[in-house]
Amino acid sequence: MHEAVFYGAALWMTGLLVVSVVLVIRARTSLARILALDMTILILVALLVLFSDARRVPYFLDAALMLALLSVIATIAAARYHSEGRLFS
Amino acid sequence: MSWGALAADALVVLGVAVMTIGVYGVFRMPDTYTQLHAASKAVVLGVIALLVASLATGDATVVARSALIAVFLIATTPVAAHVIGRAAYLQDERMATPGARDESGHRLTEQPPPPDPDRELESELLSRPSGSP
Repeated sequence: MHEAVFYGAALWMTGLLVVSVVLVIRARTSLARILALDMTILILVALLVLFSDARRVPYFLDAALMLALLSVIATIAAARYHSEGRLFS
Repeated sequence: MSWGALAADALVVLGVAVMTIGVYGVFRMPDTYTQLHAASKAVVLGVIALLVASLATGDATVVARSALIAVFLIATTPVAAHVIGRAAYLQDERMATPGARDESGHRLTEQPPPPDPDRELESELLSRPSGSP
């Protein structure tokens, strides 16, 4: 990957991260907020993958994997608690 | 300048463009059901394009971790989207999209009637047991 593409993509995705945080804050309902938070964490995963590609270092990808795991579990728990009032049926 | 680096550039630009479309979709769509399309398909496909771009590094540790993250995201994102959609359905969240059709029988496309204070008082009086004052 060339340096210009890396810097452009990193800057653009930082902007996307800011936009999605604004979407989390300004969401109308709780479910829209959960959804936007899930999307924010996915963008963060993509940013870590981009850094790992550019620097050719695998350590960022461990953090990205843990973030993806935690985001899925947190989304499922929050949505189930929001709809049914309990996590396990 | 090698073909692998050029392909990685193209995949990174593609992934960032697709993720931009996904974020714009979540910003633009009126209700949770249609926001799910953008958040669960577009954004994840953008992340997967970035993960495929890491094949060009040629580093075995990077490629192995990228494949693990891609498989994990493909396996778990539909589950999270389904749970969010089910929560919206269980809470009778209304469909705000023009021309939306609800075939579930919950009439989610109709807006709830505005609260009428006289009617609320009447229904409260009717629901009261007859013996009570």
